Amino acid sequence: MMTVRSRWIYKLPVLALFAALALLAQRPAGAAADDEFFEKKVRPILSAKCQKCHNSQALVAELDMSTAEGFARGGESGPLIDGERPMESRLLKVIGYDGEIKMPPTGKLKDEEISVLTEWVRMGAPWPGAKPAKDSAESVAVRKSGRTFSEEEKSFWAFQPVADPAPPAIRNKNLIKSPIDGFILAKLEEKGIAPAPPADRLELLRRATFDLTGLPPTESEIRNFLADRLPDAFAKVVDRLLASPRYGEQWGRRWLDVARYADSTGNDEDHRYPHAWRYRDWVIAAFNADLPYDRFIREQIAGDLLAPEGEDAKLGVNRRGIVATGFLALGAKALAQQDKTRMLYDVYDEQVDVTSKAFLGLTVACARCHDHKFDPILTRDYYSMISIFASTRSFRDPKEFVSPPLTKPLVPKTEYDSYEKALRLHNDRLKRVRFAIDEIIDSVKQPEAQTAAAQLAEIMLAARRVYEDGLELNDEAHKVKLSPEAFAKWVEYLKPGKPREHLLEWERAATLERREVALGYQERFVKRLGEWDAKVSAWRRKYEDAVAANKSPLPDKPSFEAGHDRFFAEVYFNRKGPLAVDEKDEARFTPDAQARMKKLIAEREEIRKQAPPEPDMACAVEDGEIVEQRVFIRGSYHNPGEPAPKDVPQILKLGIPAPENWSGSGRLELADWVARADNPLTARVMVNRVWGWHFGEGLVRTPDNFGVMGERPTHPELLDYLARRFVAGGWSIKALHRTIMLSSAYQMSSRASDEGMAKDPDNRLLSRFPRRRLTVEEMRDAMLAIDGSLDLTMGGTLQSGTGTDGENDDKRLSLNPEKITRRTVYLPLRRANLPPLLNLFDFGDATTVNGKRQLTNVATQALFWLNSEFLADRAANFARALCAEPANDDAGRIERAYLRILNRRPAQEEISGAIKYLAVYREKFPGAENEYKSWMSLARVLMAANDFIYLD
Amino acid sequence: MNGIGGNDPIASMYKREAMPVSRRAWLRAAGLGFGSLGLTTLLATDFFSQTANPLAPKSAHFAPRAKRVIFLFMHGGPSSIDTFDPKERLDRDHGKPLPIKRPLAFDRSDPGPLMKSPWTFRRGGKSGLPVSDLFPNVRECADDLCVIRSMVGEGVDHGAALLQTFTGTSTFIRPSLGSWTLYGLGTENRNLPGFIAIKPSLAHGGAKNWSSAFLPGAYQGTAIGHAGMKVEDISSEPIEYLVNKRLSGDEQRYELEMLRNVNRRHEALRGNDPQLEARIQAFELAFRMQTEAPEAFEIDKESEATKKLYGLDDPLTRDFAWQCLLARRLAERDVRFIQCTHSYKWDQHSELYNLHTQNAREVDKPIAGLLKDLKSRGLLQDTLVIWAGEFGRTPVSQGGDGRDHNPYGYTIWMAGGGVKGGFAYGATDEIGYHAVEDRMHIHDFHATALHLLGLDHERLTYNYNGRNFRLTDVAGVVARKILA
Repeated sequence: MMTVRSRWIYKLPVLALFAALALLAQRPAGAAADDEFFEKKVRPILSAKCQKCHNSQALVAELDMSTAEGFARGGESGPLIDGERPMESRLLKVIGYDGEIKMPPTGKLKDEEISVLTEWVRMGAPWPGAKPAKDSAESVAVRKSGRTFSEEEKSFWAFQPVADPAPPAIRNKNLIKSPIDGFILAKLEEKGIAPAPPADRLELLRRATFDLTGLPPTESEIRNFLADRLPDAFAKVVDRLLASPRYGEQWGRRWLDVARYADSTGNDEDHRYPHAWRYRDWVIAAFNADLPYDRFIREQIAGDLLAPEGEDAKLGVNRRGIVATGFLALGAKALAQQDKTRMLYDVYDEQVDVTSKAFLGLTVACARCHDHKFDPILTRDYYSMISIFASTRSFRDPKEFVSPPLTKPLVPKTEYDSYEKALRLHNDRLKRVRFAIDEIIDSVKQPEAQTAAAQLAEIMLAARRVYEDGLELNDEAHKVKLSPEAFAKWVEYLKPGKPREHLLEWERAATLERREVALGYQERFVKRLGEWDAKVSAWRRKYEDAVAANKSPLPDKPSFEAGHDRFFAEVYFNRKGPLAVDEKDEARFTPDAQARMKKLIAEREEIRKQAPPEPDMACAVEDGEIVEQRVFIRGSYHNPGEPAPKDVPQILKLGIPAPENWSGSGRLELADWVARADNPLTARVMVNRVWGWHFGEGLVRTPDNFGVMGERPTHPELLDYLARRFVAGGWSIKALHRTIMLSSAYQMSSRASDEGMAKDPDNRLLSRFPRRRLTVEEMRDAMLAIDGSLDLTMGGTLQSGTGTDGENDDKRLSLNPEKITRRTVYLPLRRANLPPLLNLFDFGDATTVNGKRQLTNVATQALFWLNSEFLADRAANFARALCAEPANDDAGRIERAYLRILNRRPAQEEISGAIKYLAVYREKFPGAENEYKSWMSLARVLMAANDFIYLD
Repeated sequence: MNGIGGNDPIASMYKREAMPVSRRAWLRAAGLGFGSLGLTTLLATDFFSQTANPLAPKSAHFAPRAKRVIFLFMHGGPSSIDTFDPKERLDRDHGKPLPIKRPLAFDRSDPGPLMKSPWTFRRGGKSGLPVSDLFPNVRECADDLCVIRSMVGEGVDHGAALLQTFTGTSTFIRPSLGSWTLYGLGTENRNLPGFIAIKPSLAHGGAKNWSSAFLPGAYQGTAIGHAGMKVEDISSEPIEYLVNKRLSGDEQRYELEMLRNVNRRHEALRGNDPQLEARIQAFELAFRMQTEAPEAFEIDKESEATKKLYGLDDPLTRDFAWQCLLARRLAERDVRFIQCTHSYKWDQHSELYNLHTQNAREVDKPIAGLLKDLKSRGLLQDTLVIWAGEFGRTPVSQGGDGRDHNPYGYTIWMAGGGVKGGFAYGATDEIGYHAVEDRMHIHDFHATALHLLGLDHERLTYNYNGRNFRLTDVAGVVARKILA
C-alpha cells in the first residue's frame, strides 16, 4: 500500500481547539501582539490564498479581503465574521470544506493555516489599523439588486411603444401591391437598388405551397393555377392553402421549434411524456383555426385558469386550456437529480426562459446569477418571474427518487376518482392471485430449501467433485439424495466462472480445508434461511389479516437486500439459482397444486385484460402552493437574499403598468400582461417570427432576442406597422400571412442581380426573395408526397410505452423517420436521441427556444442523398407509378417527372438531355426491367438535385 | 467510366457560358468525373481550405501539444479508490462509520460503514505510480499516465454527471467537448468526420453528449453504432449512409454525373449563389468519403500481433479492443476527436468486487494495448488520451457490497499529448471522499484539455442568441502543473 498524507482530522472544532490552545500558549498578550500575529501569521495566508480573487479590483463575489473595510463589509453572501458566535463564522465554514461553498476553490488550506485563521477569528479577527465599525448594521451589508436605468436603457427601441407609421411615399408606385411594399421599396430607392422582378408563376406557386403547407403543389394544382389568368389567382391560392389542414401542420411545427417541443424529458433518464402529443395537436389545431394570438398566448401560460368554452364548458373540464399548458410542462428535465430543490429551480428557470424568449424575445434567464450583463433585466426581475413558476406545479411529487412529472386528467374529477379506485382494486386482485401462486411455489420451495440447508456442505463438496475432480454427476447426485436435474443446478452455480467475491473463500479452499469452509457456508445459510422464513411468515399473517379486514392496498411481500448475503440471495432467489422454483415447474407440484396453478394463471390473464383504461390525460401544469420567493444570490438557493414578489421586468413597467392584483400562482396575470395590446414586445416579436418564417430572416434577425445583444430591425417602421395591424386585426395570424404574401416583396424572384449582390449582399434590404433550402420536414414529407406514400392522418401519437428504458436499449431511440410514412411533425421525439436524419438536417436540439434554424450544407448530408434507402424507395415507387401510366413517349414521362418532383416544366434541352440519359442508361446497364430502372435512376437524380432541395 | 466523363454528350449540352472563368476552369477539371479521384482530391483540397467550409483546418491559438484526442469513457463511474487513488486509512478504519458529514448522495438510505478496497495497489514503472490489481496491464504504462486525483463535478446522478463531463453543464444543453474542439480546429481529413463517437451510450443524455447543440450541425459527433449494438452489426456500415445497398459503382457514378450536370445548369441559371456551389461540392466530398472512409474501419487488415496486443482475439476483451484499435486507426488518419465508450458498466451500487473485476478485465488489456501501440507508432506524443468516468464512488459501502456515486473527489487520467507521464496531480482527503489539493473542477479539466490542443478556453467562443458562449462557461483554470 502506498502512503498518503497521514494527518487528517475531520472534526474541525476539535482541531481548532487544540490549535488555539497551542497558539495561545505562544502568544504574548496585548494589541501589539495581535498586530504581530496578524502580520506574521494571518496576512500571508489571506494574501496567498484569498486575495487573488477577493481584492478591490477583481471583487469576485463582491468581496474584497485585501483591506480591513472590505473584510468587515463581507461579500454578496453577507459578512465573513459572526460577531456573536465567532466559531460559526462564514469564513470558518468555507475553509472547513464541509458545505456547499469550499474555499479556496483550488484546494483545502493546510491544517496549520486553518488553525491560524480559526484562532484569529476566535480573537474577533482584529485587523491592525482598522477603524472601529460605526454601526454593526452597516457592516452587515444587505445588498439590494435595485438600480436605476440609464437614459440609453430606457430609450432602447424594443421597449418603446409600437409606433403607427404610414407607408412612405415612393416613386415607383406601380410596384406596390400591399402597404408593406412601400416600406421596403423606399429603402431600396434610397440606395438606388432595383427590386428583383416578379418570380416566375410556378416558382411562386411552389414557394407559397411549401411555405404554407410544407408540401409541394400537386400536378393538378399546378395546372389549375396556370389556367387561372385572373389577377386574383394567387390570392385564391393563398386562401386555399390557408384553409388546408396541412397549413396547421407546417406552421404548428414552426411554433413547436419555439416551444422546444419533444416527447420526453431528455436530460438524464429521458422519461417519456406520454401525453405531450396533445399539446402538439393543440398547436396544430390552433393554427388551423386561426386562434387569435393573444388567446394563443394566454392558453399556453394559463389555459387551465381560463373559463372553459364550448364542449369543455358542458363537461366542466377545461380540456383545451389544460392541454395548452403543455407549453410550460414539456421542457427538458433532470428527474433523477437528487438535489430536488435544485431540480425544481432548474425547471422554473427553464419555464422563465421559454416564456420570456418565446413571447417577449427577452433573455430573462440570463439574470439568474447576476443582473443581466447587457439588458436592463435585474436579478430581482428574474426571481419575480421565478416566483410565479415556483408557485406552479410541474411534478406529481418532486420528492420521489425519480420525480414523476405532473399529468392531469381531462375528465371530470368524479370520473377520474372512480378510475383510480378501480385501478387500486384491480391491483389488489392481481396481488391476491400472486399471493396464491406464491403459496404453491413456496409449498415446494420451502421444504426443498430446508433439506438443502441441512446438507449444504455435502452438496457443495459433491458438486466440487464433479466440476473439479471430474466425477460422475449422477453418482454424486445420488450420494446427496438429489435428482440429477436438481444437483446439476448446484454444479452449474458453484463452478468457477465470472468473479464472485462471496465464493472466493470456497474457490480458494485447499482440498483439506474444503469441508470446514463448506460447513461455514452451511451455517450462515441455515441462519439466513431461518431469518427469511420468519420474515415471510410475519408478512403472511399481516397479509391475511388485511385480506380478512378488506383493507386496500394490501401489504407488499418483503424484499431481501442481496448485498448483505449474496450467496443466499443467489442460491435462494435467482431465477436460475439452485433452489429456483417457477410457476411453470408443473412437474414439481402435486397434481392438486398443478390444477390450482393452472386456474390461477388463467385467472391472472383474465384480470389483466380487465385493467381499467386510463382516462385521457395531459402533460400540463397547475397552481401549487404559493411560494414566498427570494432572490438567490449568485443563483444559489443556499443563499437567499431580498424578497422577490411576483412582478414583471421593471424596465417594461416604465411603459405599461404591471398587473395590480396577483392571484394564485400569478400565471393568469402574467399571461394577461404578456398578451396586452400595448405590450411593446409581444406583437413585434410574433410578427417578426412570422416574417422570418416566410423570408428566412426576420426584420429582426435574432427572433428570440430583442435585447441589446440582438440585432436591430432592418425595417423598424415596417415591423411596427405590421405589429399594429396585427393587433388591430384581432391578432389574426392568417390575416398576417395574407398581408405579407400578397405583397410584391413576397412575390419577387430569388435571382440576385449583380447590383443587388454588390449593394445588398446579405439581402438586408430585401432586394430579392431569399432562396432557401427545404427543412428536413419539408424535404422528407415532399418525397413521401411525390411517390404517393404520404399518410395524411392527423393527430394522435405513435409513441408507445411509459417511463424510460434500459440504458442502451433500442427503445431509447426515436422512431426511425425513414420507416414511417406519417408527416414528420407527428413523429415522436425522444429528446436525448433525436432521429439521426433530423440531426443531420439541422432540426435543432428540441431543448431551447429555436426561432431560426441554422441550415448547413455538409458532406455527410450528401451521403444521405447518395445512399439512403429512403430516397431509393421513394424513387422506386415513383418510377413504378410513372411507368404504369400510359404515355406516348419518354418526353411525356419526363415532363410529368419534372412537374411532380420539381414542380415545373422541363426546358427543351432538359427533355432531350433526359432522353439521352435514359437511353444511355438502358444501354450501359442492360437486364430485366432496365427501362423501369432507368426511370428510377432519373427520379433519384431529380430528388437529389439542388432544384428540388432549394426553394426559389 | 468510359464515355461518362468530360466528353459526355449530356454534360457538354448542359455546359453554360454564364459562369465566371475561374470556376468554369475548375469545373472543367472536375468534369473528369467522380471516378478520377486523384485530380478531384487535389482540387477539392483547394476548395476545402476556403473559409466557406466550416470544417476547414484552422490554426490554434498557440502551439498545440496535442493534435487530437481519444477519450476513453467508462460509463457508470469507476471507483477511484479501487483503481488509481489508494487510501490507507480505509484499510485501517474498515467497518467504522463515516467520520464526516455525508454530502448529497444518490442513494437515500443511510450510508454503510467505510469499506476498504478489495484490491491491492502496486507501484508501476520507474515512476512508481500506484495502480491497483484491477489494471495490471495499464500499470505497465504507468510512466505514461498523468493521474488526476482531484476531479470535482456537480452531478450526483449519471445524467447530470455525463452531461457535465462532456458539455460542461449538467442542466442545459450545450455543445460537447468534441464539438468545441472541431469548431476550434477544424479537421485535416476530409474523408472522415472530424468527430467520431464509437458505440456511444443512449442513456444519460444520449446524443446530447456528443452533439453540437447550438454550434452548427457540421460540428456534431458522428456515431459509429451505439452501445447497445454488437460490433459485428456495426462494421458492415459504420457510418450511416456510407454504403449504397442498391446500386453498382458504375450505376452510381453514372447517376452522379447526371446529378452534377443538372445541378450545374440550375446554378448557372441562378447566378452567383455560394450555397448552391457548396452543395455541389458536398457531393464530391461525400463520394470520396464513401470511397475512402471504409478503409479506416477495416480492422482485419491489422497484423495478428497488433490484434493480440489489444485483446481482439479474446471474447472478453473483444468489444473494447475493437473500439481502441479503431480509435488508433482513426487517430492515425487525423480524426480530431474520438470517443470510445465502455457502457454502461461501472455503476456498482452492489457487487463492487465481482463487477469491477469483470469490467476491468474487459478494458485493461485493450487500453494498455492502445497506449503501447500509439507509443510505438510515434502517435502518443501528439495524441491526448483521456480515461474518465462521470464520477468516482464513495468510500462507504452501499447495500452491503457496493459503493454509491461520488462526484466530490475522483480520479481520471490522461496520457500522451503534452502531459507529464508517471505523475499524480491533486489529492483527495484521507478517505477519498472530497478533493482537497489542486482541485480540478470539470471546467478546469475542459480548460486544460483545450489548452493542450492549443486553444484558449476563454477565446474559444460562439455567439448564440446574443451571448458569447464558452465550453467553460465563466470558469475554468488550466492545470499548468500537469503540462509536460
